[in-house]
Amino acid sequence: MKFKRGKMLIDPPACASSDIAFTLIIFFLVCAAVHPETGMSQALPKTEEKSEKREQSQNLEVSITPTSIILNGSPLKPDEFATRIAAALKAKSRDTDKIVVVKSAPQTPYPLWLAVSQAIDDAGGILTLELESEKTIQVR
Amino acid sequence: MKLPRKKLTASVPAFAMGDIGFLLLIFFVILARAQDDSHIQWEPARMDDVKMAASPLATVTIDAGFKTYLDGKEIAPQEIAGRLTEILGDSPAGQRNVFLKVHKQSKATHFEPVIAAISEAGGDLIHILEPEGETNSK
Repeated sequence: MKFKRGKMLIDPPACASSDIAFTLIIFFLVCAAVHPETGMSQALPKTEEKSEKREQSQNLEVSITPTSIILNGSPLKPDEFATRIAAALKAKSRDTDKIVVVKSAPQTPYPLWLAVSQAIDDAGGILTLELESEKTIQVR
Repeated sequence: MKLPRKKLTASVPAFAMGDIGFLLLIFFVILARAQDDSHIQWEPARMDDVKMAASPLATVTIDAGFKTYLDGKEIAPQEIAGRLTEILGDSPAGQRNVFLKVHKQSKATHFEPVIAAISEAGGDLIHILEPEGETNSK
């Protein structure tokens, strides 16, 4: 004759459920929270108003428009710009001469601006922004 | 005859510790989300040569609607320099990292005043970009 073995019911203790939830939350937080960010650091010595332009006349000047990059008055293609700025900065030895004044047209796209600023950084230039100051003049 | 009074013990039940920890955790998560900027819609520009960025003291974001945010809160561009100066305080150079998250379709009118403000506050500017080849809109 075969005896049936009685099944043993094992309930997890209810008081442990909050501990389980706590551990699960920590697990999901650790999984979700950390997404490392990547980027490019940039050194900016200062920004200058347009009125200071005269003092910087010996420095390289770059104008960026949505369609072109102008280095000291000569329009260049984006891929050509990197080599030209590197050549221009190679001749400069003093830090003050390595300042590159960048002026952007209002509609200049961010990726183009980044490409230009990275080329200046790579060539050892010190990027300085030239911003046009807005002044309200009342005419009577 | 004096009957001894039964001593009542008022101990915190040990099984409540999990609940207490759980509530504390939720409290700190909500506090941390106050500085979170994950609700801001923006897409980073892409670049070949990007590096892992160190942790920032502040984050400035320009979203897809070209609005400006400082640490997840909307702010006018002309107020950024003052607020950043307060946040950066006397932190030494090299530890004054400010993340700049610019939506890739932004124009110079949107991002240049912000860069100027970070520069004015003496922040160490870090453009947050995506490595070329990855597609992950935030």
